[in-house]
Amino acid sequence: METMLKSHRDEQHPHQAEDFHRKLEQNSKLSGMKKDIEKLYEAVPQLVNVFKIKEKIGEGTFSSVYLATAQLQTGFEEKMALKHLIPTSHPLRIAAELQCLTVAGGQDNVMGVKYCFRKNDHVVIVMPYLEHESFLDILNSLSFEEVREYMFNLFKALRRIHHFGIVHRDVKPSNFLYNRQLKKYALVDFGLAQGTPDTKIELLKTAHSEDQQESCLQNNPAVALGNGVSVSDTAPKQIQQSASKAADRRSSSLSKAQIKQGRGGKEDSVHHSVQRSVFGERNFNVYTSTYQENSCTKLIKQAKVIDVSSRKLVTKKKIISTKTVSNGAARKAASGCPLNLPCDCYATDRVCSVCLSRRQQVAPRAGTPGFRAPEVLTKCPTQTTAIDMWSAGIIFLSLLSGRYPFFKASDDLTALAQIMTVRGSRETIQAARTFGKSVVCTQVVPAQNLRTLCEKLRGTNNGCKRSRGEVPCGSENDSALPCAADKPCALETLGKQIQYQKSFQEGDGALEVKATDMKGWDQVPDEAYDLLDKLLDLNPATRITAKEALLHPFFKDIRL
Amino acid sequence: GKHVTAQKSKTGRLKNPFIRVEDTSRQYRPFYLQLPSFPFLNYSVPKPYSPFEVDKKYPSGQKQTQSKQRNKINSDKDCGMPAQLPQKDKKKRGYCECCGKKYEDLQTHLESERHQNFAQSTQYKVVDDIISKLVYEFVTYKDDTTKIRRTKCST
Repeated sequence: METMLKSHRDEQHPHQAEDFHRKLEQNSKLSGMKKDIEKLYEAVPQLVNVFKIKEKIGEGTFSSVYLATAQLQTGFEEKMALKHLIPTSHPLRIAAELQCLTVAGGQDNVMGVKYCFRKNDHVVIVMPYLEHESFLDILNSLSFEEVREYMFNLFKALRRIHHFGIVHRDVKPSNFLYNRQLKKYALVDFGLAQGTPDTKIELLKTAHSEDQQESCLQNNPAVALGNGVSVSDTAPKQIQQSASKAADRRSSSLSKAQIKQGRGGKEDSVHHSVQRSVFGERNFNVYTSTYQENSCTKLIKQAKVIDVSSRKLVTKKKIISTKTVSNGAARKAASGCPLNLPCDCYATDRVCSVCLSRRQQVAPRAGTPGFRAPEVLTKCPTQTTAIDMWSAGIIFLSLLSGRYPFFKASDDLTALAQIMTVRGSRETIQAARTFGKSVVCTQVVPAQNLRTLCEKLRGTNNGCKRSRGEVPCGSENDSALPCAADKPCALETLGKQIQYQKSFQEGDGALEVKATDMKGWDQVPDEAYDLLDKLLDLNPATRITAKEALLHPFFKDIRL
Repeated sequence: GKHVTAQKSKTGRLKNPFIRVEDTSRQYRPFYLQLPSFPFLNYSVPKPYSPFEVDKKYPSGQKQTQSKQRNKINSDKDCGMPAQLPQKDKKKRGYCECCGKKYEDLQTHLESERHQNFAQSTQYKVVDDIISKLVYEFVTYKDDTTKIRRTKCST
């Protein structure tokens, strides 16, 4: 929000803005930022004569984003977002991201690219800057109609990229910029994108063939190790070990489905300071809410487990068409590991040395845990654009329930357990079978009625107001209230909520306030929850597509 | 690959409650999670927090317990780790895709001969090819007064 405030000031009171600036400069963070800006100018000197870089507005593991202004040849000065990629990025990855932007971007709410500057290993992608809200800040002030428009526009973006065979893999609010006032939207960050088998993005194809990666690893142990053990030393040892094992196993794998770990685990090592999204809510400019401190930590916590294990990269030069079968077997034999011996643990509550000695299945799982689809969480090797639709469903769930992040899990199976508590354990297990996964879960939890769930969480359920059988009347309003005992944070929030309500009531007549305050939330149509149900379809094969979602009755006569 | 469990130390029956996932091909190692308690929807967590917010309920950190149970080998490491290392230390380590190499310090690695060779190589042609198709529409200032038009902006 700093940025937004400042930019408003810039337009209205330039002198004030400068004062504001000067004061902030005493802040050490800002001087660090200044240094970063100087470094960027130094690394890519072409920028000096084109951009006035104002500030850093986002920082991720693989890039930093700066806000800058530039004079266009048309005569207008415009704000730009400069995305500086980490110089360790492989040129093919950089090119693939650029190609997503140039081919699919610039239309239908997909971020486009203005230009790109390179000096040696330093690459800066220039994009139009879209001033945007913090999702958390506005979540509970959006009208229902705004939510409808938000989702419609998200699906437009997803339809666009899916049409080009791009699986975004990291769809979440911070990667979907939203300017509430202008009603403008932009899906950003193709840094984790993968191609579908028939992708129209040529450069996503090179990074797709699994067999190639196999042989690549097979024939270049150094690379294999490097890829697998890319976890930083500060990461928990557990991750490192699993990563190296994964690499080991992967290199001897017979499976076509083995996906590589690009800079695997790096995210894990930097969890407290960075998030993948670089143009989104982790930006320095977005926190103004009363929840600032708490939510800040929380978001970062959630972000910590973002991993890029599947931010794979296969360079053509490394591809050697060796068949991995014999090599793999030999390697296994040499290391004394049994190869795929059967055991009786399957679908039971047991594990044994036989099944635990098998190679680990490696499937793409880049993204943010709370937004990962069940097939990602269970390491299904074939993942489609449907994983983005699940993520969109999670965003919708947040919007309808007023909770963000909705799922809060630091690992995949905790996330799966949380999904079960919403969608049902039996249902989850059944769906997993359709994509080749046996899931055993000791807990039997029923599927929730989505309307009841969201209304309870949002606190808008008036109990008897609706004539829906499954909404029990009575204690619901109580349960929606925070119980503040032994929860200092909860207490604080509660206080603020009460204050908010008070200020509302003081302003206008209480009745009128109540009506306007509901903002359409007192009559959410069934279509909303029907669409949510279809997005959170546990079976990726039947999950609604972006194209279909736009035609869903929920969007009937949408005014745009 | 976070759910990898210690290969030898963990065999036998899983402790309730747990989730166990295995590929139906039975060709891969199953992975599982044993939780101190199964997650539940907590409607009393205030908005906008997650209904699965556990930190407030379990201030001692349920997650740590989980990871300990998940993987014995790492438990001492987990506990010994400060919750938050200084950002700068963490930020500098990583993996270089260009060199296929792990590094301890980003800046040092970037300045290394190996990386510099790559940085100045023709490997970036694939990037330049895309750049060459972009339309340059900015005004370029030679200094504070003169405007020049730049035609080539990548080296």
